[in-house]
Amino acid sequence: MKRSTIRTVVALAVAMVLLLVWAFPIIWGLITSFKTERDVLAYPPTVVFHPTLSNYWDVLFGATSILPNFTSSIILAGATTVLTMLLAVPAAYALARLALPAKRATGFYVLITQMLPPVGLVIPYYLVFSRIGWLDTYRGLVLIYLTFSLPFAIWLMVSYFEDIPHEMEEAALLDRAGRWRALWHVILPQARGGIAVTLIFVFLNAWNEFLFAVVLGGNTVRPVTVAMFNYISVEQTLWGKLAAAAMIAMLPVILLGLVAQKHIVKGLTVGAVKGGGRR
Amino acid sequence: MSAAGRMSLRNVVKRYGTFTALRGITLDIEPGEFFALLGPSGSGKTTTLRILAGLETVDEGTVMLDDADVTHSEPGERDVAMVFQSYALYPHMTVYDNIAFPLKMVGMKKAEIGAAVRAAAAKVHIDHLLDRRPGQLSGGQQQRCALARAIVRQPRLFLLDEPLSNLDAKLRLETRVELKKLQRSLGVTTAYVTHDQEEAMTIADRLAVFMDGNIVQVGTPETVFARPNSIEVATFLGNPPMNLLPGVLCGRALRVGQHAVALAHDYGSTERPVMLGVRPGAFRIDGAGIPAQVDLTEQLGDSVIADLRVADTLIRVRLPERTRLAEGTQVRVTFDAEDAHLFDPETHARL
Repeated sequence: MKRSTIRTVVALAVAMVLLLVWAFPIIWGLITSFKTERDVLAYPPTVVFHPTLSNYWDVLFGATSILPNFTSSIILAGATTVLTMLLAVPAAYALARLALPAKRATGFYVLITQMLPPVGLVIPYYLVFSRIGWLDTYRGLVLIYLTFSLPFAIWLMVSYFEDIPHEMEEAALLDRAGRWRALWHVILPQARGGIAVTLIFVFLNAWNEFLFAVVLGGNTVRPVTVAMFNYISVEQTLWGKLAAAAMIAMLPVILLGLVAQKHIVKGLTVGAVKGGGRR
Repeated sequence: MSAAGRMSLRNVVKRYGTFTALRGITLDIEPGEFFALLGPSGSGKTTTLRILAGLETVDEGTVMLDDADVTHSEPGERDVAMVFQSYALYPHMTVYDNIAFPLKMVGMKKAEIGAAVRAAAAKVHIDHLLDRRPGQLSGGQQQRCALARAIVRQPRLFLLDEPLSNLDAKLRLETRVELKKLQRSLGVTTAYVTHDQEEAMTIADRLAVFMDGNIVQVGTPETVFARPNSIEVATFLGNPPMNLLPGVLCGRALRVGQHAVALAHDYGSTERPVMLGVRPGAFRIDGAGIPAQVDLTEQLGDSVIADLRVADTLIRVRLPERTRLAEGTQVRVTFDAEDAHLFDPETHARL
């Protein structure tokens, strides 16, 4: 009894420290975004200051507004996510369930594509894209993002589908659902958690991407990650505006996490199959 | 109900890689029958059920359903319903939606679905749980939900894969009786897989005993119990299992050790070794019987199980409740000639 109390206290303390380490940069960024440039550069750093919304105003509606870049990011990440999910869900399901020839080899191939270092690819891609005129286009960047997100999403979701007992489809087949309706009515609802997790990861990766966007993008296709660097110039760094832009850039990801949170909650299948639910 | 529900397997062979699960099964299940597929685990009974369902393909042989060849039909085309050992309830749907699912899939109207679901749920006494999800049900309730989902569309054939194995002992006995009543009232041909011989004996009209991918005996529980056609079947059915004693057969007499037992039939005058099988309950204490030493006794309340040593063989006998046997003492036991089962020690077949 005493032992468990100590354990709880220790666990809480560790959790607090970890939370502080993780949250500190975000909290500092948030504070910075409300500071004037003079407060930002004050040394020692001030915690008490007169907050201002001017950074946000400038970043959103000023001369160097990131709103067009925000749209750009949404198109890139949105298209990548939608296409990835449309292709990866059936692919992962097939890999998990069907007795396909060379299934293992295919699975390994999917994984191995993840091992290529992006820096090694960016120059060849640039050369190819400049030849076919796909530089600074959405189709170009989305295609590149798919080459990374698709294998990742398939690999992640295969394990979710494998966790669903075979009896589920078999019961659905005997109930005359057929393969497609069994997938739609019985399997996909049970893979909801996995699909939500995958979707967030894919969106996040596309949203955060910088390297390919800076090399293969341009004036038309310039996501927030690239545009934010306009606030860092040779003469000075506009820390307040940079922080405000970063906060705005984080917003969709945080919103997505909140919306998807309830779908990620586990234990949905508890009691459906003997031995209780999955961990 | 569209048709009678006669199910036949002809020389069905099923292989998994180099492992042969079924070595040529031939089986007929008559319309309206409650048929048990009984056998130890790995004997091929569940594979057979899955082949009837269409969930497994066959490597050789044919599957017939009411004179139609369904060997290569999809599960959905066969009009059969199955209750899985794990129940396989859809966890994201309510009990109502689980039961309604097979009806929705064939495009039945909403109003008709509602009535059918309620009727099926009432038959298995879960009509008050329709709004729950499977995770909120007890094991027994989940099992009923799976049953309701199977009976709701009035299939031609009902397949049950060890449906009682996940219930506790008391509930299992109650459900067993209910299941039999339900099957009687619906009149649907039912194939029932179990490894529990007592379950098969009490519930089935007929049963098939599976061993090693073969069907070794088919018949009513009474005949299979009374006339097992091999040593394996004899020792698989009955609890405690049938006792086996080596003996020598000559004419109408059987010698066990130094002791001679008179038999009901004449087996010919050539002397030959046999394996004698006697059920535990067929023994009785008799001063003129086979000498045996009492090893251990177990009081069961309504009877006494005694472990006896006859020469080098241990036998278990069931005696009346008031029998008092001191451990370590000598007794003599005997049995009636018609309770003796004789088997060939080489082929294990019944003589």
